[in-house]
Amino acid sequence: MTPPAPADDVLLDISDLHVSIPQRKGVATPLRGVDLTVRAGRMLGVVGESGSGKTMTALAVMGLLPGNGHVSSGSIRFDGVDLTAVSGRESRRRRGTEIGMIFQDPMTSLNPTMTIGAQVSEGAMIHEGLSRRDARTRAVDILRRVGMPRADRIVDDFPHQLSGGMRQRAMIAMALVNHPQLLIADEPTTALDVTTQRQILDLIEDIQDEFGSATILVTHDLGVVAGRADEVAVMYAGRVVESAPAQELFRDPAHQYTRALLAALPERARQGDDRLFAIPGMPPDLRSETTGCPFAPRCHAAQEDCRSGPVPVITRGDRHEVACLHPGDLAEAGHDLDDVRTPETPVGGRGHSAATDAGEAPGTVLDVAGLTKEYPALGGSFIRRTVGTVSAVSDVSFSVREGETFGLVGESGCGKSTLGRLIALLENPTRGELRLNDEDVTVVTGRRESRAAHREVQMMFQDSSAAMDPRMRIDEVLSEPLVIQRIGTKDSRSERAEELVADVGLADDVLERYPHEFSGGQVQRIGLARSLALGPRLVVCDEPVSALDVSVQAQVLNLMKDVQAEHGLAYVFISHDLSVVRHMADRIGVMYLGMMVEQGPADVVSETPRHPYTRVLIDAVPTVDREDERDRLLVEGELPNATDPPSGCRFRTRCPFAQEICATTPPVHEFGEEGDSHSVACHFPLPADGSLPVRAEASA
Amino acid sequence: MWQYILRRTGQAMVVIILVTFLTFLLLHNLPGGAARSALGLDATPAQIDAYNEQMGYDKPFLIQYMMYLGRLASGDLGFSFQQNQPVADLIVQRLPKTMLLSFLAAFVALVVSIPLGAIQAVTRGKVPDYFVTAVALFAYATPLFFLGMLLIVLFSQTTSLLPPQAPQGFGLGEILADWPGLILPVATLAIATLAAYTRYVRSSMIDNLQENYIRTAKAKGLSGGRVVVRHALRNSLFPVISLLGMYIPALFSGALVVEQLFNYPGMGLMFWQATQTRDFPILLATTTIVALATVIGSLLADFAYAVADPRVRLSGDS
Repeated sequence: MTPPAPADDVLLDISDLHVSIPQRKGVATPLRGVDLTVRAGRMLGVVGESGSGKTMTALAVMGLLPGNGHVSSGSIRFDGVDLTAVSGRESRRRRGTEIGMIFQDPMTSLNPTMTIGAQVSEGAMIHEGLSRRDARTRAVDILRRVGMPRADRIVDDFPHQLSGGMRQRAMIAMALVNHPQLLIADEPTTALDVTTQRQILDLIEDIQDEFGSATILVTHDLGVVAGRADEVAVMYAGRVVESAPAQELFRDPAHQYTRALLAALPERARQGDDRLFAIPGMPPDLRSETTGCPFAPRCHAAQEDCRSGPVPVITRGDRHEVACLHPGDLAEAGHDLDDVRTPETPVGGRGHSAATDAGEAPGTVLDVAGLTKEYPALGGSFIRRTVGTVSAVSDVSFSVREGETFGLVGESGCGKSTLGRLIALLENPTRGELRLNDEDVTVVTGRRESRAAHREVQMMFQDSSAAMDPRMRIDEVLSEPLVIQRIGTKDSRSERAEELVADVGLADDVLERYPHEFSGGQVQRIGLARSLALGPRLVVCDEPVSALDVSVQAQVLNLMKDVQAEHGLAYVFISHDLSVVRHMADRIGVMYLGMMVEQGPADVVSETPRHPYTRVLIDAVPTVDREDERDRLLVEGELPNATDPPSGCRFRTRCPFAQEICATTPPVHEFGEEGDSHSVACHFPLPADGSLPVRAEASA
Repeated sequence: MWQYILRRTGQAMVVIILVTFLTFLLLHNLPGGAARSALGLDATPAQIDAYNEQMGYDKPFLIQYMMYLGRLASGDLGFSFQQNQPVADLIVQRLPKTMLLSFLAAFVALVVSIPLGAIQAVTRGKVPDYFVTAVALFAYATPLFFLGMLLIVLFSQTTSLLPPQAPQGFGLGEILADWPGLILPVATLAIATLAAYTRYVRSSMIDNLQENYIRTAKAKGLSGGRVVVRHALRNSLFPVISLLGMYIPALFSGALVVEQLFNYPGMGLMFWQATQTRDFPILLATTTIVALATVIGSLLADFAYAVADPRVRLSGDS
């Protein structure tokens, strides 16, 4: 792109930036001509999938390229000075004072053995020569400004004593300590829960207003930048393929990659269509040279000139630049992306229709009643003993019908994964009843009975490659369940393995390879195949797509639906991502601190949540489409300790509507008027019309 | 914190009792018997029985063990007939000398290996790293006695820079006054330990340099030196604390060889001589003391770790 003439308000101007990293085999070039501008006091969102070069761009600005990485050509002009040409000392000075950076994982990005105060103030001590005492005062001050509770005490704490959200606040304070003109936030909320994510994103926005600094918000999540960033740049294969003012980009995406990315979002497929748009294939290898448009091999609209020719940047309207030879038509403005929809042929229709089509009521696969799991909390001075219990799952009841998907949502620590493991019979419940196909499997004794029960329910994990023995070939991985269950002969097992890989859309040759040879999406396919080996009726999927990029996520979700339709499977689908759960599930259960607070049909629960926590969760999810401008319900603070959960309703400590009764009486599930399947455990459920009642007391 | 110390001390007590039991059991079953070695080959069976009765060696094993524990508790480590002295007196004379040797060696090893390992980590895959690795592995692979002899040949025989024999003084003061004699024994023992420490510091440091918080520190604009020393090195040294505790047995077995080689009158030399003459009380007492030192050493290392590392400090009392 031709860089615009540096106007007065341009703070950072990156032009045709190339970065190369020599490696043992060849040279990787993660950046291949990046053009970006950041204006003073504005927020630029940089969006892309893993490997697109978004983080590398941020690190290049910081002068912190990894390993032997170096800028091979191009310039980074910051406030008129080319950062690629300044000395190491000068670059260091800028790093602490003019450009601050917030990193992704606040746990590992903080020094575990230095106090928060020492880490926050270190930058001020170095660059301004503050005394120890002044530095401490500065640390307390800046921690207060980023909303750290009890800042004067937190300064003396160590990172592991803080919750994830508080650590990220400390991280932000650290970046702000010298009042930089530019703040770079690299995936600042990826490791956080949605309610915390919302608090942190709001904070970053507030800070930008307060300090007048410019911000680069780097993220894989389109929803995070929508409605926050002033401008958005979409990156692919080391280049910016499209940049525009945020509203315009989401209203009128032009580049076929941007359009495909938006179409792959589960929330975009919510209405009507059951399949997501999946971008076929994978991003190009950063070690190989590409000619033409790097997206062409995966693009449905690619033509001969895309693969051969140079791709010029075209300007559409004000500040909207696109590097695409055949951009989407302006006439199709809005969300109409049907022209890029599914190039694959779907295997089946609606996943849960198998049984309903036959006209008979589907049977119940799983029935859970009053399920409770408590872990001993250990302590004691001389000998370890139980000093209390951690209530991981408390009195949960629900059922799953044949061919149905039951979605479990909640934030980390809510007990959804423990519940999943209980259902998959990987742990024994403390109390309650678990029935599979109408058989009591609460406590399975005996090897034979245990084997029989495990044939009915299997599990699929978030990181399937970690869940497979790295020294086993895929054919061994897939036939091992059959060996354990003593099913079939050697030949029939390898036949079954071939069948399974075909089922999940992979070629035969994967059988002879090892788990580490596959990409994230492929490994999840194999994980699904493994869970299908025994022909179970129920598969518990624990965050099956959380580690995947949006385009690959769409492929795996589509596959899961196809497989479900083909085999009449039921899923318990566990995820922290509400839009994914909403897309996949027929019914949803919402968990908070071990309890199921609300359950019902997916659409009903997500359109008209009755429990305040469900509403908070839904309102906190950043979405691309912000047309619905209803009041948002926010909460402060973070999840209480499960060792000593609040009495009565466990959400009451954070609930804006809590009253006295909430502390004394635990609410029981009550069914609403719109049908007998939507139930909520709340003394003061929200009205069904989506409005918010006047709060009991004034609170933010 | 106090609960943590209490718990770890309690666990250590249990280990110490088990160790004394095992040592006693092993030495009890050695062929030849204490009476035969004390009285000589000419002793009549009657004399041997009388000796065994006098020493309590005719009692059942467990009774003997309990008697041993009782004596141990009152500081009575037995009597060496060959040296004609109570074992406790011998140990009081000799233990400080061995401790001096070991501490000096451990100190030198630490002072040299920490910067060396750090330099290796920072220059990983470059010439300084390879060079130090080669030298360290060479030192590590060289047997202690050979290394000691090599140093004697180089620095005493050929160049007469240093005396080939350790100081022979009776007390610590006299030994320290004759300090040039300590240089070679301490160097021998230090070089052998140094190699392992350096490797340890290097790998621990490499791990820490790859952590995300190092990138955070750089993002603050700190200088390279400050990032390495203040952030990486500090955190890399915690594992070395545990290593120190674990290295006590190795130091003692090293002292065994070095004291022999340089004729240094410490515990090692005494132990070696006692094995030659089957002086059971000395063997038993020395083994027990080394075991005790090992347990106490790793206990102290754990405490030091807890004081130094806030993560252990704070989780210990929960």
